[in-house]
Amino acid sequence: MRGGRPTRMVRQFAAAAALSIALAAPVGAQNGALHGAMPMDQQLARIDQLLPQRDPKDPPRGVDPVIFALFIPPDNQMTPARVALGKKLYFDPRLSADGTVACATCHDVSRGFTNQRPVSEGIRDQLGRRNAPTTMNTFVLQTLFLDGRAPSLEEQAKLPILNPVEMGQPDGQAVTKAIANDPDYQQRFQEAYGRLPNYDDIGRAIACFERTLVFLNSPFDRFLAGERDAISPQAQQGFVLFNGKARCVSCHQLNPSNPLGSDNHFHNIGVAARHQDFEALATKALGLLRQNDGLKAIDKLALGTDMSELGRFMVTKNRSDIGGFRTSQLRNIGITAPYMHDGSMQTLWDVMDHYNKGGEANPYLDGGIEPLALSEDEIDAVVALMFSFTDDRFGDQNQMSFDKQHATAQTQRPFRDNALAMRQTLPFEQRVTEPAQPRKLEQPQ
Amino acid sequence: MTRLTACAAITALAVALIVAALAGRHRAAAGENIEVKLCDNQTTTSVPADQPATRENGEKIAKALMDQWKRSNPDSKAWVEEERAKHTIVNPADNSPLIGRGQGAVYGQITTQDVATWREETLKLVVDGSSVFHSADRLGGTIAVSCDMCHPDAANTHPETYPKFQPQLGRVALLRDMINWCIEHPVRGQQLAPDDERMRALEAYITAQRKGTQLNYGKR
Amino acid sequence: MKRRVALKSVETRHYKERAELFRHLRNLDRRTFVKVSMAAAAAVAAKGLAHPFSFMPIDVAYGATQGAQGFRIAYISDSHLYDRTLNDRFVRQLYRAVDDVNGLDPQPDFVLYGGDLAQLGQPTELDLGAQILKSIKAPVHMMVGEHDWYLDLGEKWRQLFGEPVYSFDHKGVHFVVLNSVIEADFWTARGMTPMQRMQTVAGLDNGIQSRFSVGDEQRAWLQKDLAKVPKSTPLIVFSHSPLYKYYRNWNFWTEDADQVQAILKPFNRVTVVHGHTHQLLTNRIGNIHFHGMLSTAWPWPYAPEGLPPLTVQMNRPDPFDPNDGTGDGEVDVHPDGLVDKIYNLWNRNPVEVSATYLTSGGKQDRPHPPNLASY
Repeated sequence: MRGGRPTRMVRQFAAAAALSIALAAPVGAQNGALHGAMPMDQQLARIDQLLPQRDPKDPPRGVDPVIFALFIPPDNQMTPARVALGKKLYFDPRLSADGTVACATCHDVSRGFTNQRPVSEGIRDQLGRRNAPTTMNTFVLQTLFLDGRAPSLEEQAKLPILNPVEMGQPDGQAVTKAIANDPDYQQRFQEAYGRLPNYDDIGRAIACFERTLVFLNSPFDRFLAGERDAISPQAQQGFVLFNGKARCVSCHQLNPSNPLGSDNHFHNIGVAARHQDFEALATKALGLLRQNDGLKAIDKLALGTDMSELGRFMVTKNRSDIGGFRTSQLRNIGITAPYMHDGSMQTLWDVMDHYNKGGEANPYLDGGIEPLALSEDEIDAVVALMFSFTDDRFGDQNQMSFDKQHATAQTQRPFRDNALAMRQTLPFEQRVTEPAQPRKLEQPQ
Repeated sequence: MTRLTACAAITALAVALIVAALAGRHRAAAGENIEVKLCDNQTTTSVPADQPATRENGEKIAKALMDQWKRSNPDSKAWVEEERAKHTIVNPADNSPLIGRGQGAVYGQITTQDVATWREETLKLVVDGSSVFHSADRLGGTIAVSCDMCHPDAANTHPETYPKFQPQLGRVALLRDMINWCIEHPVRGQQLAPDDERMRALEAYITAQRKGTQLNYGKR
Repeated sequence: MKRRVALKSVETRHYKERAELFRHLRNLDRRTFVKVSMAAAAAVAAKGLAHPFSFMPIDVAYGATQGAQGFRIAYISDSHLYDRTLNDRFVRQLYRAVDDVNGLDPQPDFVLYGGDLAQLGQPTELDLGAQILKSIKAPVHMMVGEHDWYLDLGEKWRQLFGEPVYSFDHKGVHFVVLNSVIEADFWTARGMTPMQRMQTVAGLDNGIQSRFSVGDEQRAWLQKDLAKVPKSTPLIVFSHSPLYKYYRNWNFWTEDADQVQAILKPFNRVTVVHGHTHQLLTNRIGNIHFHGMLSTAWPWPYAPEGLPPLTVQMNRPDPFDPNDGTGDGEVDVHPDGLVDKIYNLWNRNPVEVSATYLTSGGKQDRPHPPNLASY
């Protein structure tokens, strides 16, 4: 289905051609690598290999049943019919305005359930502003999106479909219309929810499917279970550092009830501060907040400017949330590069350099971010640990990613600053003593 | 002489001497100082000559002399008193109602000396804990931060709420786990082994300061 | 979202009402004009905003007070610096506070440093602090704390910063800076070295030290200084210790507080801004308002007893965040001399304790209560 408005003759012709091809081909069998994603039919074959056959009502292995049940809304209990429906929808590009983008385009089964790009590309090749989080293991996230604006998977699934740069549909009815006439969908919706296709149920079904995307079977898990040589001695040393000197566990909490490595809180670690207008926007937003209709004014301002960098603040309008983004999960982090909310870090070594020097000083920096004084060996150990968080099913990909990142890290470490890391210079000191210097560089996307 | 006897002797002697000495002199001119010396001929303090020779003043002078003497005699085991002079330490439970109770071979008959021994030994560990708590050096910190800087008199340590799950530690924390975290991060030292004498002393002191608070494990 | 009595031009604050008002003004006779402007003023007053006449057209506003101006000052306090090579964390936090203050727009009229610049009164610590504070763009007024004083009894402090006790006038307000950490001599009789004396005072819970006081000499000076000041002039007193009795064991206490308060009492509007307590603290005794300042180094727990009833506690600091419960802040001085105190807590929403909260005895404009109280 094409919803865009062609502006030139050539585009009109191409549009017509594409339309005929799209209509001719059956759903889920589009050829070509649209927006860089693996074709949907191949992804579907892959997912069947990856996911074990089991009753979706049961909690995944190793997950506390009490915790698992807590995240499932009462009106969306897991059933095989709902999971199957959600799976079909997840891989269906018809949900987008021009029929080229499905959830699986940016959350691609072959690319770590993300797209391994700094920011995502949607319809008409438009680029967004944020890195796509992985859809693996989302079943215990307390909020969705990097700024936590969706309280549940059900709500989250519905939003990218309506986002003008992602899937570009004008409203829920248009989405429903795109698939309502398909008899297969009609039957599946009836089986799953006992009603005709509707937008809310689309969100629910996708959420059910996403709850089955559990990838917690990694060497690290076997190490925790008692297999002492499941991870290398270097990675074991990394685990000691993770819990100790490197302080990772303060925010990247790992425990049996919450195995993801995220505390579900929002922290400004200074990545947004690297964008040139971050502080000016923050000051402006705070100024607006003091006024009577400040909340509305901020929303209005957000549409016109790049206030996306203010992160959680745009959701809560709390000063303490400026530039804050949700702590990412660490599971499968080896294969979900690039990193950070804007995808500005290519390798995990870059991530370590960023934390080691105490992030990027800005007035809203989270208090837990401090220079860590980690040595090169210690950094390598923590990185080794992080690569051990990847599920065995992606072992090959993980190794390739490690090799690639390792090679890159040998030659480029753009975020490294030893003086800051070893606490010889202090963050904020430069800002105070050398205010005239341009403080930040725009990171290339 | 035991420490207690030494203290008592010196104080009594000093008071007597001072009162005698000052009583026997005619009034000196204002502005003159009298030097009062202990019988070790080393410990001295200076007293204005026109200060009235009351028992109260005599005791103050004796106390000042005692302080000095203790400081220059560190082996004297006066550390307990010194620590208690600096920092409030909650006393352990009073077991004196037990005196005379008990029978047979197991408990025997509980005596005053038993009660005193229990009290003294318990207090010693708690007082040692107080001294570790207040000392960045003994904690092994590298940034000259001691526990009392954030927890004066062990305030806000709430030992009655442990064990509790602490996500930032990745596990259920006991008091010693939290102490170790604090030693590693705010104090920037090395974590202590669980049976390290300092760890035992710290736990003792912190728990002692919350005597009487209801246990409420798991409270956040 | 808080209503704030911000000191801005009237346009930015009441844009909509003003636009509404001026739209009507274009085609009005005088009688209708007055009716419209009064209605608009009433609408603003109904919203509970503090200055209902702020945007009245000039010819009706001629009666408004043209006297004292409002202004803003900032504060940084209790940095407790060690040598940088020994402890970098406290140094970093002071730099952060300086960065905050330098980033204020508009800039404050001046910055108060609230005392305890050094941790152990070492000359190197004081030099380091002085050097960092030089980077503050606005003028700085210094106040001494016990950690600065008791190594050498103020010798280095005087060299760097001048006399610790002084007064000055600014925009119609009379400011007094006291050295309220005078302790009776406890060290000579014990034969303590200067360092031992300093370490004793440095321990908040160390019972050997004496209680803080302003002392006879300073009280006499204060009396003389204030004799020249009319009783209607607003007074703001900066003091390191709270000039009242909160908790004796931790020297959150001034021994001669009653006498000092008696000297201040005759004045109509008196505010005391103090450091030392490293926490959000609010008190009112008679007509004197008391506000605490945050520390940049670490927060202190609330004392087991003696907490002033007007204080709405700050949220319990999270031990896993080394900056939680610390920060800097501002003091907004109204034209009438009363103040709003702003606590700029790092990583938290700022807390404002307004003058009306204190003048109404806690009934209006209560700050948000904490959702994590102290143990």
